[in-house]
Amino acid sequence: MASQPSSNPGRKRLSNPGAPVTAILLPFLLSMLSPVALAPITTAQESDSGTSPEDIWSIEYANQIFPWGSHGDSDQLQFQSYHDYFSLKQRMQTLAAYYPDFLQFNEGLLGGFNARGDVMTSGEYEGWYYNHPSPWMKITGNVQGGSYNDFNGDDGNYADRPDVMLVGNHHAREWMSYEVPMFFLETIAFYYGKAGVDNDGDGLIDEDGWDGIDNDGDCLMLNSSFQDSNGDGNPCGPGDLGVDEDFSEQFITDMVNTREIYLIPMLNVDGNRYDREEFCGETAWENCYQSGWRKNLRDNTHTGVTPIPDIDEAVDEGCDGVDLNRNYQFEWGAPLGATGPLFPGFCYADGPNNDVYNGPANTEDNDGDGQINEDHVDGKDDDADGQTDEDWWGGNTEPETKFIQDLTEMNDDDMDGASDFKSTLTWHSFSELVLWPWGHCTNCYSPDDEYLVYHGQMMGQMTDYAPMQSSDLYPTTGDFCDWHYGVHNSYCYTIEIGNAFHENPEDIAHISVRNLGVPFYMIEMADDPRYRAIVGIENTTSTQWLEYPTNVSVPSDGDIPVGLCLDPMFPFSPDVEMTHLMWRFVEPTRQQNDFGPTDWIEVPWERSGFNETSVQCTLLDGSNGTRLVSLIPLPDTSVGKIQYKAMLGTTNGAFPFTYPTVEDGGNYYELSIPYRAGFGDAILSTLMFLVIATFVWGGLGFTLREMFSDDERILGMPPEEIPILAVINPGKGK
Amino acid sequence: MDSQTEESSDQFSGRLGLIFATIGAAIGTGNIWRFPRMVGANGGGSFLIPWLIFLFLWSIPLIIAEFALGKRSRVGTVGTFRIFAGRRFAWMGLWTAWINCAIGFYYAVVTGWCLNYFQIAIRGGLSQEVDTTEVWNSFLQSPWQVIFFQMITVLITLAAIWGGARAIEKANVTLMVSLFVLLFAALFLSFVMDVKDGSLDGFIYMFSIQPEYLVQPETWINGLSQSAWSCSAGMGMAITYSVYMRKDEDTTLNAATMCLANNSISIIAGLTVMMAVFSVSPDPLGAVSGGSSAITFLVLPEVFAQAPGGPIVQLAMVAIFFLALSFAALTSMISTVELCVRNFVDHGFDRSKSVALTGVAIFLFGIPSAVLWIKIDPSTGVAFPQFLEVQDHIWGYGLMFSGLFMAYTIWKYGWSRYKAWQSDNGVEGFNLRDYLDHGVSAFRDDYINTGDNDWWIGRWWDYIMYLGFPLMFSVLMLSYFADLLANVDDPWNPANPHGISIILLFWGVTASLFVGFNKVLISRPLFRNVPEGAETSIDMLPGGSDPHIFQVGDELPDHVIEELGLA
Repeated sequence: MASQPSSNPGRKRLSNPGAPVTAILLPFLLSMLSPVALAPITTAQESDSGTSPEDIWSIEYANQIFPWGSHGDSDQLQFQSYHDYFSLKQRMQTLAAYYPDFLQFNEGLLGGFNARGDVMTSGEYEGWYYNHPSPWMKITGNVQGGSYNDFNGDDGNYADRPDVMLVGNHHAREWMSYEVPMFFLETIAFYYGKAGVDNDGDGLIDEDGWDGIDNDGDCLMLNSSFQDSNGDGNPCGPGDLGVDEDFSEQFITDMVNTREIYLIPMLNVDGNRYDREEFCGETAWENCYQSGWRKNLRDNTHTGVTPIPDIDEAVDEGCDGVDLNRNYQFEWGAPLGATGPLFPGFCYADGPNNDVYNGPANTEDNDGDGQINEDHVDGKDDDADGQTDEDWWGGNTEPETKFIQDLTEMNDDDMDGASDFKSTLTWHSFSELVLWPWGHCTNCYSPDDEYLVYHGQMMGQMTDYAPMQSSDLYPTTGDFCDWHYGVHNSYCYTIEIGNAFHENPEDIAHISVRNLGVPFYMIEMADDPRYRAIVGIENTTSTQWLEYPTNVSVPSDGDIPVGLCLDPMFPFSPDVEMTHLMWRFVEPTRQQNDFGPTDWIEVPWERSGFNETSVQCTLLDGSNGTRLVSLIPLPDTSVGKIQYKAMLGTTNGAFPFTYPTVEDGGNYYELSIPYRAGFGDAILSTLMFLVIATFVWGGLGFTLREMFSDDERILGMPPEEIPILAVINPGKGK
Repeated sequence: MDSQTEESSDQFSGRLGLIFATIGAAIGTGNIWRFPRMVGANGGGSFLIPWLIFLFLWSIPLIIAEFALGKRSRVGTVGTFRIFAGRRFAWMGLWTAWINCAIGFYYAVVTGWCLNYFQIAIRGGLSQEVDTTEVWNSFLQSPWQVIFFQMITVLITLAAIWGGARAIEKANVTLMVSLFVLLFAALFLSFVMDVKDGSLDGFIYMFSIQPEYLVQPETWINGLSQSAWSCSAGMGMAITYSVYMRKDEDTTLNAATMCLANNSISIIAGLTVMMAVFSVSPDPLGAVSGGSSAITFLVLPEVFAQAPGGPIVQLAMVAIFFLALSFAALTSMISTVELCVRNFVDHGFDRSKSVALTGVAIFLFGIPSAVLWIKIDPSTGVAFPQFLEVQDHIWGYGLMFSGLFMAYTIWKYGWSRYKAWQSDNGVEGFNLRDYLDHGVSAFRDDYINTGDNDWWIGRWWDYIMYLGFPLMFSVLMLSYFADLLANVDDPWNPANPHGISIILLFWGVTASLFVGFNKVLISRPLFRNVPEGAETSIDMLPGGSDPHIFQVGDELPDHVIEELGLA
């Protein structure tokens, strides 16, 4: 409760919800006082170990009671139980009716001539079996305005608003994949047009937005038993109470006003109804926790050429259905992670991989040139006729995928012939992952890899989900994201929500909360995902650092480790070609000029790869980074300097960053390397000393003695020379 | 032209005087600041092996040759080459003299640094809390200070040589004895430091053989170059000082004594520096293997300032060290200037005028080295005199040619003696055996094993002079130029002060000028400083037919006076 006395006087002074001036100034005050305010928070945590959610937040927030109205089934609205197709559609219609300014409900498409010249009717977007078109919501400010799209049937089309497509429930059994979109929809519907709402009732406004971090530290104030409220084992992580709980309503309003959002919460209505009504039942989490019906309900034994007549027209569970997320045309039918039909229309009952059946092959001459399937959809002009991807092998055969295809291709507000969807998102479950293209090939990277990696890591941090390239999980062909990215160059992400197809109903709410930031992130970046990634990457790199020479600890023997502190968001490539420490050992020349500065031997640069360690380091902005270490192999006997710099690259090498940066004023660091080997053996050196001393000092003594001795003998004179000498110098002799 | 009024000849008082003078010439800054660095950079004890070997292969044989030449010619370098190599080759002596002069120009500046550091030290300016880089930079960047101490050096040098051989002897004896005492004191203090440190690691490193260094050519080349420079072998010093030798002195043992004494001092200085640096520096080898002036003027004051025993001992130590260094430099300075002066006197100039002229020249031509192009090394922030460095770069290796010229003289003498023997005995055609017996050994037989010596020089000396020396000379030269080629950017650009072209250019211009000047040289009368009773009649020497060679004190014949327009 907001008015509940706080144990913290420092923060109490700041909260004054009544005064509008203060409300406006509050963000500024907060930003200035946050370091001050944080200090007592920590002490409060130590002194008051009994802090519970209610002590900090409103009862509503502490108990995850959402503020939207109690229309219809209150459990569903509070995300305590699942929607079904009907209640979902009804709720969408209700919201659209209630908020006509920015929500417009649609079903399927109206049809007409589509982008490839086919005449489409609205009925062709209805599921095979239950005959429902997919319900969708057009969300944008002044949705009744703008231009009207007579194919898709939506208003609110503006050439200058970036479009975003958010799609749930490709796969029937993945129920959270339509609950998360519905939660997102409820959030938009409730908060649009509002600003300065204290979402958690702690007296502060917009103090903790979506980033996966407990920015205001209130979760950390809780007694540790409350810190992991979602029970994922990560205290005060995404989805926990107090994390990302007070987002900016102004941001939501701004986003809705400047973007066109196409929200399709339940694409596969046919399959979802079948899963709920026939395959698993209403309480699927009890008997189908991690199983269920996946595909749509294409009757594989009825349509086309079929050797086994489908007499009863019922769903043949061993055979029917197409995996919608293998049915998109890009690289359709490539044999990775999908099952193609051996013969068109043929189906193997209970066969392996039947769950990923990608739909019937296309035997038409799509472009009417007399050849069949000569230009497969892969972004290349396979037949070199000047047209690309014009005669496909198959894919987009299902009402649901046709719907996505035509909605995408017929939504061209700026009439530039390219898709308006700069960013696209599809929700799936499960495994807690953030995936990006490619899916159709392994060990391959898209041209935008580092940008896709960057956004993927940002969303991974937001949700604490693991970011990775789709094919690193397993290869898939013909999926939503490969098609959107491959054909329409849209930054497309697949979110794998949660840990089950049918989560327990009490988990719906906190999983939805945990995933709420992602669609907003996708919406925000839709204006220019590439540019936002470039700026983002450059910002992360400015906080990274290469170990300064004074901080490098030179071991008493062996390789010399040099560390680099990496922002986890940086799409770093561990490949030594892209990322490495450049170093060279320079030593004084052995033939020095006697009067000039030290002469150094110029040597070429060498490279050592970086290895990730589990050690954390502190980035320049104070946040946590990952420590990379590179080892410089240098003999212990070397004396001189190591000059080193780090090249930090991304997969495609689009971001080769050099450390030290130019701002650090130098193109490399210089580390003095002392002699590290032993100086020698005492006894041997004493012997050597004796030898040298005998030669030099002894020799000197000997010559001096000879010089001043009265002895007349001549050193080293061979006896036979004596008479000759006597002849030459007869007069000599004293 | 009033040499006639002076004593007939100018001589050292005795053998010890000559020894001290030549040792003083040999011992210089190279022993004290170059040797420890070479030991540090070339693997400690591993370096001592080539260094010692080349003492016997390079230094001693060349000094023997120098003494033999000087003892008989009784004139400085120009005259010696005129007499022994022939009239057409007097310019070789001029080259030798000039290189010494050119080095003297900047060596006076360097000696001035040492003097200045001594006076800073005794005034307590090099104590523990002083930033030695700051001291060095501010000194080098104050031109008037540098010039002042350069002038002091020149004045001391002039005072020492003004009075001729006796004065030189006195100065050298005083300075050298003091140097020994000072160095032993410093060695003792260093020893105490290293022992207190607990490990004596400076001593151990200096005498530990690291086998991998022994197989590196660089170690051997550095050992050779250290031997070649440190002893001043082949530079004309011994020729010059043997002019003042009494008539029947042994020259071969003198050569050995001089070189062994030089190396003894090297070891003492090396041990002093190594033990002191190792006892306090965290990175002793890094400290001793850097640039030379850096270790002397930056590292050592710092090291000595940390000596045990309190401020008095520390002050004593640093003062002793720089005084010893100054003395070593001064004696070398004396020999350098005397070498030039001797050549003037030989050609009939008044000694006082010659000394004054040389002194002024050394001072004036040294000023650019003192004040021009004082740069800061960007990597260390340490100042250095680039003009001086370039002078050293250009003339340093030119010095080696004097040695080559001496070897040439010996080869030429051998060949002419072989030809003479052939005509005497009516032998035709070349026979190696005969050549070895009657040509190669001729110089040794005629001028080295004269019977005055205590040390008989065997055939090994011939092999060294005829085979070893040209080989070692080539290795030195080639390795130097190869090093320049490998490590200097744009070495062929004549405007690059560190390049090769600039060296060849200066050498070429100088040598051509001198060859052209040769005619003028040999038209001058040459006065030999022959002691009474010495059997060094000009007729016994190769240059016996030169009509313009006289002895000091001789009356010039009238036709010569007329010829030369001296009347």
